[in-house]
Amino acid sequence: MAKTILIVDDSESIREVVSFTLENEGYKVLVGVDGKDALKFLDGTEIDLIITDLHMPVMDGIVLIKEIRKMEKYQRIPILFLTTESQAAKKMEAKEAGATGWIIKPFVPAKLIAAINKVIR
Amino acid sequence: MDNFRKKFIEEATEHISELEKALLELERDPENKEIVEKVFRIMHSLKGGGAMFGFEKISEFTHNLENVYDLVRNGQMHVSKDLLDATLASVDHLTNLLDDDKVTLQSTVDKHKELTNKIGEIIALRQAISVESIKKSKESTEVSPTAKSAKEDKSSTYYILFQPNETIFDNGTNPLYLLDEIYGLGSCMAIPHVTKIPDYSEIEPTRCYTYWEIFLATSNDVNSITDVFIFVEDECTIDIHKLSDTNLLSNKQFLDKLEELHKESKDIGINDLQAFVSKLVSSKTLKEKKAEERAVATSKENSISSIRVSSEKLDTLMNLVSELVTTQARLSLYAEKASNTELIAIAENVQKLSRQLRDIAFSIVLIPIENLLTRFQRLVRDLSQDLKKEASFIAEGTDTELDKTIIENLTDPLLHILRNSLDHGIEDPITRMKLGKPRHGTILLKAFYSGANVHIQISDDGAGIDQEKIRQKAISKGLITADATPSHKELMDLLFLPGFSTATNITDVSGRGVGMDVVRRKIADIRGEVEIESKVNQGTTITIKLPLTLSIIDGLLVKIKDTFYVLPLTSVDKIYAADHSKLVNTFNNLIVLDGQQIPFFYLRGEFDIEENKGKNEQIVVVRYEDKRIGLAVDTVIGEYQAVLKPLGKYYKNQEIISGATILGDGTIALVIDTNKAIKYFSLQFSQNVTPEDKK
Repeated sequence: MAKTILIVDDSESIREVVSFTLENEGYKVLVGVDGKDALKFLDGTEIDLIITDLHMPVMDGIVLIKEIRKMEKYQRIPILFLTTESQAAKKMEAKEAGATGWIIKPFVPAKLIAAINKVIR
Repeated sequence: MDNFRKKFIEEATEHISELEKALLELERDPENKEIVEKVFRIMHSLKGGGAMFGFEKISEFTHNLENVYDLVRNGQMHVSKDLLDATLASVDHLTNLLDDDKVTLQSTVDKHKELTNKIGEIIALRQAISVESIKKSKESTEVSPTAKSAKEDKSSTYYILFQPNETIFDNGTNPLYLLDEIYGLGSCMAIPHVTKIPDYSEIEPTRCYTYWEIFLATSNDVNSITDVFIFVEDECTIDIHKLSDTNLLSNKQFLDKLEELHKESKDIGINDLQAFVSKLVSSKTLKEKKAEERAVATSKENSISSIRVSSEKLDTLMNLVSELVTTQARLSLYAEKASNTELIAIAENVQKLSRQLRDIAFSIVLIPIENLLTRFQRLVRDLSQDLKKEASFIAEGTDTELDKTIIENLTDPLLHILRNSLDHGIEDPITRMKLGKPRHGTILLKAFYSGANVHIQISDDGAGIDQEKIRQKAISKGLITADATPSHKELMDLLFLPGFSTATNITDVSGRGVGMDVVRRKIADIRGEVEIESKVNQGTTITIKLPLTLSIIDGLLVKIKDTFYVLPLTSVDKIYAADHSKLVNTFNNLIVLDGQQIPFFYLRGEFDIEENKGKNEQIVVVRYEDKRIGLAVDTVIGEYQAVLKPLGKYYKNQEIISGATILGDGTIALVIDTNKAIKYFSLQFSQNVTPEDKK
């Protein structure tokens, strides 16, 4: 069974390139445009990994991560967030919110896959 | 990748215009955290996307900007005018970079340098982030994937203690995957320790009690090992020691020693081993693991609530809908002729569906005029600075929607009008104070629906236009005679004549003779009208009336002699039957309908067609400005969806007929623009009457 990954990012180009890469890797990909939009998938659907951007309108990544950690079903689901090199403080905040790890933008596909392999197989 | 790049460009263009808008908002409300956050977020997206899709300059450039706004966000810096000027200039520059990322144009190169320096200065002032570190972080963006060679074994052996905190599972980490990754780095041996597992009764299944001692022989450096644990370094005890520059795991003695140590004590530790290793000298090759390739199986589940469609496709859609509507009219006609009830029912259904389809298709191409406003705000801001005037731009009714073709064609005329308002309308602050007006001038743009039209009004509280000046100018240009007494409205209309400019000083902003005539022509191209109303020292209001859409209208089909005409249904008020004699034997063109006197035009008369011999005719009462005016026709046929087709060039010199449409049976009906027609008829009427009155 292909693993399912939920991608949450407000940037369409990032969503597309991430989905493209992951689909090529054989993952099943779900897409949300912001935190609030992503929550609609978290209704019991089997999801193996969530990749979310941090800066998003409506509901940002930190809030989303906290929300997810409150749900029984997704309490221990791996969550990676997208971030840039420069944001050490954000990394801490996201980790404290319950994120598993991060992916540094910009990334080459290999790096994306490497980060994913750290948390799911 | 090209596709992604294209998408990114589209997206970035959107981001840039959003950024511009947010910055202008920020200028008005510099303390607003939310706006700063928004600005920051947009910059961040641009930076990330830029780097991702190879727009390095954009990425680098926005990175600098982002740093500045990070300071603003953290309250370490204030939103100053300098900062906004530089940022807005940067926004323009970003647009250029999007076209020319490699920075080939000299102008772009200069601008890039200038702005980078400027932003550098702003940051340097706050000295929080050095420009150096920005450069460094850029250099280290791409790291080549770990490549392993099978030639010579240059492995070193490491000892790794990996002891996760008990709560490691809570944030979704599975330590086994990390071990997997370590195994991927070289040859490896991991020894699990389960000594910390408590009694059965005390076990919490959500806690991690196991820890590992790992021996790894790898040709990668120590960084690639710390990288494995990068997500968990705060939640684990991780100890990494280099045991040897050789591969100890292929050394039988070493392995024996390990086994021995593992048996006697529970933890192996590093001390004994280090001593042991120093005695050993040997190296052998090791095996490698290769990454598995996954099968490509994709199933896309997309749940994006809106999509981007090329405007070309939309144009095609609109064309097809128009064709469908025309074809549907033929079907209805045929069904009626064939008097086949089943066919009629089908035709009615098709009519209903095509009508719905038409409405949907229309709403797709409608966009709110809000999209235009950022540019205007920017113009007012920059231009008022250049002209040393103070003015603000206020917009009302920004959610008013118009056909995208109309919006596209509206930008230039509106920009021109705004330039005029700022240049000739709004006075400089000192003059304004002297006149008892507030220092700050206001330009108000108001958009609203009015019947089948959208009105856009631009008014300023500036100097207004002096009627007398227009008169003098018109006389000097020979447009009117010195003794003529044109009305206020007629004088204002003169402003739309080519080459008519009352500006005594020609500035580079406006007043170059390319003026209101171009505005009127451009607006006329999209079937709109412009009017000017102005009072000296109170200001000028320019009203633009635009049709809602350009291609299909709901109309009332009428017949005069052998010709069909369509009147726009939105302006039709009521239809009456009228006796022929009442229509022709009248000298003041008034008829009493429903107890009200209503002025009317006998269209046969207006169109120079001989009187109708029939007894009864019909009067269609339409709304004109705030009045009701009757238009007498032979017969009213019924409602009709008219697909507007342009008239040929031979019909250019008239305004009454705005287009033509093809009826179901292929005959052509002319679409009457009731507003323009009534205006024209009344003008003729008054010209016919006045000379007699004078005598």
